[in-house]
Amino acid sequence: MPSRVVFSALPRWAGMTVFTIIVLGPLYWVTASAFKTRDEINSATPTLFPHHFTLTNFQNLFRSTDYPTFLKNSTIIGLATTAVTVVFSLAAAYGLYRLRVPGSGKIAGIVLISYMIPGTLLIVPLYKTLAELHLVDTYTGLVLVNVAFTAPFCTWLLRGFIMSIPVELDEAAALDGAGPLRTMMRIVLPLMLPGIATVAVFSFVYSWTEFVFASQFIVSNSLKTLPIGLNEIVGLYSVDWGLVMAGTVSTMVPTIFIFLAVGRYFVGGLISGATK
Amino acid sequence: MSTHQDTFAATQTKETRLYRAPASTRTPALTRVLGYVLVAPIVIVMGVVIAYPLVTAVVTSLKDERIIGTASDFVGFDSYVAVFRDQQFWSALSRSGIWLALNLVVQTILGFSAALLLQRRSRWSRTARTWIVLPWAIPSVAVVVLWQWMLNTNYGIIYKAFASIGIDLGAPFGSSTVSLFAIVLVNSWHWFPLTAVVVYGALSTVPPEMIEAAKMDGASAGRVLFAITLPTIGPVLFALGLVGSLWSVNVLDSIYLITKGGPANATTTMPVYIYNTAFTAFRSSQAAAASVITVIILLVAALIFVRFARPEED
Repeated sequence: MPSRVVFSALPRWAGMTVFTIIVLGPLYWVTASAFKTRDEINSATPTLFPHHFTLTNFQNLFRSTDYPTFLKNSTIIGLATTAVTVVFSLAAAYGLYRLRVPGSGKIAGIVLISYMIPGTLLIVPLYKTLAELHLVDTYTGLVLVNVAFTAPFCTWLLRGFIMSIPVELDEAAALDGAGPLRTMMRIVLPLMLPGIATVAVFSFVYSWTEFVFASQFIVSNSLKTLPIGLNEIVGLYSVDWGLVMAGTVSTMVPTIFIFLAVGRYFVGGLISGATK
Repeated sequence: MSTHQDTFAATQTKETRLYRAPASTRTPALTRVLGYVLVAPIVIVMGVVIAYPLVTAVVTSLKDERIIGTASDFVGFDSYVAVFRDQQFWSALSRSGIWLALNLVVQTILGFSAALLLQRRSRWSRTARTWIVLPWAIPSVAVVVLWQWMLNTNYGIIYKAFASIGIDLGAPFGSSTVSLFAIVLVNSWHWFPLTAVVVYGALSTVPPEMIEAAKMDGASAGRVLFAITLPTIGPVLFALGLVGSLWSVNVLDSIYLITKGGPANATTTMPVYIYNTAFTAFRSSQAAAASVITVIILLVAALIFVRFARPEED
């Protein structure tokens, strides 16, 4: 009997092992390589742990490349995108799914459908639009585009959270003489914090990882974001894999920390938003 | 006016609880104004970034524009004719179909098996729920660099591992026969966590009592799957299928960063074709025409999907 139990658990163990290796393996390998010396990286037999632990790659990255500039730009654009997306999608979700203004069903539908139009197909006309508004090569332009591609999905995510707050609360507040604005700020918003966290994580990660728009709508070196900058570093220093790995690790680490800190929250939020 | 509506709304409250009255008759004016003010920002942003460019795309596609923003004249449907005559357009279109199908297969397999493992009550499952999303959270550029590094023929750990057991992987991204498949695998690594967590979340909404009861009645595992599990998670799978497919077709960064559509156009899907037409060949009008055609194709495909795959309940 025990042997049968072991046998039936085999696929499960194999699955866990495979997923652990394919997900964490590459992340570990890149991180370990970033702390190796050039000789160790180039050596014929790969080493599992860095034998000569070094920070040289990171020092080179921050001293002799424009990496700090890219980091600053990505942080500014990421925070701005997050702030605007949170405000806009909360406002829209509240208006559409709570106040239910006349025509809200149609507006919600149109917003969701237009979101499904693939953004990459719109690069050419979008470039023209930004040029007309004098927003090419500006933080504002990129933030505007990022918000347009995160806010609709976030509005839809918040729908589940708003629906889960009983309408009776609003009615009770109205009986107590609270106006609609007061009801929104004091009663509903505080209960929406998990939803706000979910939306904030989603929009920050989107902005941090976005490549296509940033590659066309930003021209100046001083305004480039991390994905663009990292790609250039890869092109310029492709012989120096240690430096490239240090750049890759530094770019991954912020989002990885965000996920380790609030990831479970985010996954829960994504699911409750999608299922309610 | 507003007080009249307020009292009107108040007398209606009882009925509203029973069925949702048309919004216009129960929303007081002040609330309505607040509502529109709240909805306005997203509508304006979407109008500027999506609706207006879409109109511009249609206009540009009817002109003969080369480099973006240069002078051009209306030439009717010439750009469309040029696109339809371009062999590259048709191969890009079919390659996008292959790309979508391969990604769906690989990500469904990876996503569902991960979801089933995440659902178990074990220490692995509890910790994995946090880290399984990591490949999705890191930028595509990092994903691309990481895999190119591991498959590098001089230093790559995966290349060396296979070489040590006598298999020569060669340069998968440089070969016109396997590069598309290699990028599908990289892209699936990047995206499968989304399927995994969404399916895992949906599975946890299936009431365990229902499954227990069905098993007590002697239902087989397959029958439980088709009679209980799939119908319950149907709406989620439907939304995931629709949004996920559109996102998949839309992928440009991973492909462009690895191969720029090469070698010999072997990885030129539709977004890459449009990008190269606009920014390498400087044929803005043809790129716009191809965009318009693609949007129409996707719209029709999405409508067909909604028509035939939408879950019955709701």
